This record gives sequence, C-alpha cells and structure tokens, in this order.
Amino acid sequence: MKSIVKLAAGVAVASLGVTTAKADSIFVGNLVDYTGPTAFVGKHYGPGIKDALDYINANGGISGTKIEYEQVDYAYKVPAAIATYKRWKSRKKMVALQGWGTGDTEALITFVAKDKIPVWSASYSGHLTDPTGKNPKTKKPAPYNFFYGPSYTDGCRALVQWAASDAKAKGIKDPKFVHTGDNHPYPNAPKEGCALYAKELGFKVLSPIVVPLKPGDFKAQCLTIKESGAQYAWIGNLGGSVISLLKSCNTVGTDVTYIANVWAGDHLTIKASGAKDFRFPSASPFWDSKAKGMGLIRKIHAAGSYDKSITPTHHYVRAICSVYYMKEAMEWAKANGGLTGENIKKGMYVKKDWVPVGLEEVCLPSTWSATDHRGTTVVSINKGSLVDGKAKIELETNVTLPRRDDWIGF
Amino acid sequence: MSSTSLRPCGDFRTTYKADQSLFPTKWIFRWSVIGLLVLLCSPLLVDEYIISLFILIGIYGIAALGLNVLVGMTGQISLGHSAFFGFGAFSSAWLNTTTEIPVLITIPLAGLMTTAVGLIFGIPAARIKGLYLAIATLASQFILEDFFARANWFTGGSSGSVAETAMFFGIPLDTDIRFFYLVLFWTVVSCIAVANLKRSRDGRALVAVRDHYLSAEIMGINLTKYRILAFGISSFFAGLGGALFGHYLGYVSAEGFTIILSIQFLAMIIIGGLGSVPGAIMGAIFIVLLPEVMEALVSLLINSAPIFSGLESGKAYIKEMSIGAAIILFLIFEPDGLAHRCGQIRKSIKLYPFSY
Repeated sequence: MKSIVKLAAGVAVASLGVTTAKADSIFVGNLVDYTGPTAFVGKHYGPGIKDALDYINANGGISGTKIEYEQVDYAYKVPAAIATYKRWKSRKKMVALQGWGTGDTEALITFVAKDKIPVWSASYSGHLTDPTGKNPKTKKPAPYNFFYGPSYTDGCRALVQWAASDAKAKGIKDPKFVHTGDNHPYPNAPKEGCALYAKELGFKVLSPIVVPLKPGDFKAQCLTIKESGAQYAWIGNLGGSVISLLKSCNTVGTDVTYIANVWAGDHLTIKASGAKDFRFPSASPFWDSKAKGMGLIRKIHAAGSYDKSITPTHHYVRAICSVYYMKEAMEWAKANGGLTGENIKKGMYVKKDWVPVGLEEVCLPSTWSATDHRGTTVVSINKGSLVDGKAKIELETNVTLPRRDDWIGF
Repeated sequence: MSSTSLRPCGDFRTTYKADQSLFPTKWIFRWSVIGLLVLLCSPLLVDEYIISLFILIGIYGIAALGLNVLVGMTGQISLGHSAFFGFGAFSSAWLNTTTEIPVLITIPLAGLMTTAVGLIFGIPAARIKGLYLAIATLASQFILEDFFARANWFTGGSSGSVAETAMFFGIPLDTDIRFFYLVLFWTVVSCIAVANLKRSRDGRALVAVRDHYLSAEIMGINLTKYRILAFGISSFFAGLGGALFGHYLGYVSAEGFTIILSIQFLAMIIIGGLGSVPGAIMGAIFIVLLPEVMEALVSLLINSAPIFSGLESGKAYIKEMSIGAAIILFLIFEPDGLAHRCGQIRKSIKLYPFSY
C-alpha cells in the first residue's frame, strides 16, 4: 500500500509539481514530429537538434550555462503545439524554441512576439521572413521567427529559374508549370509567390493539383499532370507522399521534370521512389561530403544518441546548423545583458555573412537584420536518381537570388 | 435518486417541484458553493500550467455536455462533434473580424451559428438511427473538415485564422488566469442549463425518446422535432466550447478538429457517465489529465531505472494508447461511468456500516 501511495505521490508531484529552474541553466523547448504526417523527415531532423544540444552541454554549454531542453512529439497537431508552448512558457520559463512545422510556427507568431521568445523553426515558410510587416501582403509580422536556409518560396523560385534555363536549352516554347501538394499550410506556403515568379519568367502556370500529404495511390493525380501538358511539376509534399506520387506517375508514364521542396529530396526518398533526374534544393552538404565543418558534425553524431545504423540525411545536418546559430546568438546575449529572449534575438543581428564556428562550409553564410529575416538566398540545386539500387545525388548548380523587397515575407 | 444524495432519513419529498430540485440536499448546495469558491480562488493556489489544464477541462467539458444531451439523454449517436466544435471556433473568429462585434458576444453567437448548422445536419436523425445515423454524422465530420480547409473567406483555408483576444471592459483576457474566469463562467452556466433541461418537459421528452421511441410517440412526443432539437442543443454547446477554445489559443486551425477529437468527446461521456451533467465534466477531467499523468508516469519510470529508458521514444504512443485503453477498460468494468461510481461510493458511505 505504501508503495502505491509513494508512486501516486510521485506521479502527482511530477505532473502537477513545480519545476525549479537552476540558476546556471536556461530552458529551450523543442517541438518534433516523430509520429505525424511529417515524421518521415522529422525522425531525422529531431535527433539533429537533440545531439547538437547534448554536445553543446557536454562542451561547456553557453559560456558555462547549461541548456535544459525537452523534446515533445506533437504529431503536427497545431493545438497540441500551442498547448505545449504555453506549458513551457509558464512552467519552464522558456527563453527560446526550436520549432518544427509551418502550421504551428505560423500559429505561434503572435504568441512568441508577445512573449519575446525567439524561434528557430524547421519551417522555411516565406511568411516568416518579414519581421516588420514591410510587405503589404504580410498578414502578421514575425519579429521573433528565424530559420536556417533559404525560404520555401526562394527554394521554389531558384528551381523555377533553373527550369526556365532548362526549357530554353531544350527548346521548349511556352513551358508549363504546375504546383502539386496537399491543401495544408506546408505545401501551400510557397504556392502563390513561386507561381508569380514562374509567370514573370514566361511560364504558363496551371491550376494546382491537390496531392494528399499521406501516402496513397496517386494515379488519378498523375493522369491530371499528364493531361495538363505540364513540363515542370513542383512537389510541395514530403516523404511517403512523394514516393507514392513518383511511383504512380512512373506507372502512368508522365513526361515531366519533377522539381521539389527541400524536405521532399533526400537519399531515402530517391531510393524508395526510384526517382530519375529529380531536382531539389539543399542548404547543407550531404553526409559523405568532405566539407571542413563535417568534422564537427561527425563528432556531434558520434557522441549523440541518433541511431548509428542509419546514415544521417542532410536534414540532420541542417538541424545542427539551426542549433548552432541559436548557440552563438545566446553567447552574445549572455555577454551583453543576459540570456533573455529579447537579447538572444538581438544576438542574431550582430554578425554579417555569418557561419557558426566549426561549421565552415557546412552552414551557408547567413545574415539576419531587424528588417529582413531571410538568412540566406543562396540555393543549391541537386539532381537525384536511383542508379544501380543506390541513390545518387549530384550538385547541379548554385542559384543566388536577389533580396527583392516585394519578396520579403512572401 | 435519493440513494445517491445523502438525504437524511425522514426527509421526504411531497411535491414534484421539491423532488426536482437542482440541489437535493442543503449539503450538496453548500459543497457546490464551496467548490465554486475554491475554483474562483484557484489562481492564488496553483500555477498557470494547472490553470491552463482547468481551462481545457472547462472547454472540453462544455462540448461534452452538449454531446451528452444528444447521446446520453436522447440516445442518438454523433461522430461529428469535433466538426461542430471547430465550426464554433471559426464562427466566433470570423464574426469578430468581419463585424467587429466584441469577442465576449461572438462566443455565444458562435454557439447559435453552430446550432443552425447542427439542426441541418440533424435532419437525417429524423429518419434514421443507430449505425446509419453514426455514418451520417461521420459524413458531417468530413464535409465540415473539408469546408474548413477550403473556405478561405470563413476559415482562412489551410492556414487557419487568427482569433482575437477577448476584452472585458477594456481588460484583455490574454493570460491564462484571466481567461480561466471566462471559461469558468460559461462552464457553470452550461452545467446549470443542461441540469435544468433535464428537469424540464422537453428534457423528459428527450429521455423518453431515448428509452423507447415507440412509446414516446404513442405518448404524443414529436420524434422528428425532438431528435433534431437534440442535435441543435448539442451543437450549441459544441459551438460555445469551440469558440472559447479558438480565443484561448488565439488561432484556429482546420487541423485541430478531426475525427480523433470526436472520438475523444465520446470517450469523455462514456468515461464520465452517459446522461449525467457531473459525468461530462468528470470525463473531460479524465481525458485532459490522462495524457499528462501518463507522460509524468513514463518520465518517472525512465528516470527511475535505466531498464525503462527505451520508453522515451514510445512516450507519444503510450499517451495515445492510454486513452484507447481507458475507453476499453471503462466499457468492460464501469460502463455507467465515473458519475455512477461516485454515486456508489456516496451510497456505501451513507449505508456504512449497515450496507445491505
């Protein structure tokens, strides 16, 4: 009986009790999707965040301050993410957040701005890049939102730019472009901005085709792509959905060049789908790269808890970049007034063309300013194919997009 | 009834009015007032996280009360309750942003808008019942979910819409503590409203429809009217709860109102007790706290011994599975729900030591 009472008391204390923050530690929340519709890539990005935070803690923390963190699998349920955010804010005195999806990140914009909690999301939605509401199209200014890498819209624009030159080289007159993806915040994020740029470059933009984010038989959608006569199809989904779409379209026999979002392209997807000449953007090297900073990435991986039987994807590498930008902003904040959300945000603006120490050639030089949260507009375009049962990925070109005012937040 | 109210021996009711009292004994009334006073003072006693759990319990409790009118009192089934809950959330946000009616007024108005939608989707209930009705309400869930994702003008489409902060005479209800009082007010009002409905002529008609529809019809009860009315009443509370939910989060997303939430509402009333007002609230408490307690329990196990460290990756599954397991266990061992169990405990205390 006593043990039952003790257990009940333990549960009560743990569930309802008070969390005491240590003086030499700060709390960072981390939303991950390990079981929801974006888990295919979430399972690789989340461990990157965890391993990086553990490595930082094991090597002195933030100039001596330990980062306490908690990973919560919210399964891409926006209300669950908001409820978790509220718990962290009131219970853990959270100073920063490593976020995940577009739906929850966009939903949290107002809260984090009010609470002054900087967020580094794994959503690269263009809507997050306007901190002041400079663009008339910006619905909500996002002063506390950051992410590492080009925005989804810039990624799509770079691929459209590449497609325009590809069409010219192939002698295609009046090329046609079509957006495919679910009616969901993530695939929808670049839809409008990218379509406008495609029109500017002379594409005929066709009506978008809805492809569910959950895997399934997409032959009907592939027949629509085929009948539309599109030469370039943008894939806004990820993981199982992309695999299903590419397989279904191979069966149907579409003659289309597929260009995709950053989360839609990796070794796993190419291998499982049997893709051929599949183009997708990236913002970090792949695991077999000999880039200078890969030494630190491998050390973090070796010391971390990520399953060693799996070759890390570039999503894992990108997650480490996201944490290290946060780390250096925190170091600046600690030396300049203390580790508060507001100071950490200021720390993001101090350096220009900035690469975290030790991650040279891995993270792209990035600059954030109080009026522009587009860290980088450099987009690496990769070509991936399945060759002899192995996914082969080659860097095709690097596109540097201009920082046009009408593209901010869009 | 008397056996569960701790009514002293010799306290007989001589009128129907006395027998239908909201508070069967003075002590039940006193304890209710004390409970309410404790809740009013709770921001002084517990931290904001606990208050946020109270808020969720209140919001889900209001919606569960509505479903209990439909399922528990009228004997119909609905698998689309979360869609009505969502419709209320979107309606209040939309009304407030398009007409600039204050949020405190759009919240009940959203309930009325949802009532209208519920009445429309309740029309099939006049003709079909049982499994057929379950599938018809499931269809309403899918229709409304699709509507949420496409109706940009109303919901903001797949991106969702912002629900502004409620203002109370110039004071923004933007903290959990302030919003808690708004939720508490509507929870109390909803509980009293449903308890009164149960005592009313219409409420008894709904129960008659549940107990034996043919007998009810022979008694002169208009089955079509009461079946559709039950959908309307149920939708009102779903819409009211949804509107509070939307303004609490500050953001309404189409992704938040899936079939899973509908099933959770059903779980709340099954676990709490079909047809019981306190049961709906108890069910909401159970469903809101269960994942929190499971998370704490699993964390405790993980921290207590290395052998449990493997559970870390399964935390999310354990939380989801525990709800399913709770429903199964309640169906087997406590089909009448927590409210019935509480009644049994009260009865045994009353009869102790001479139980018979």
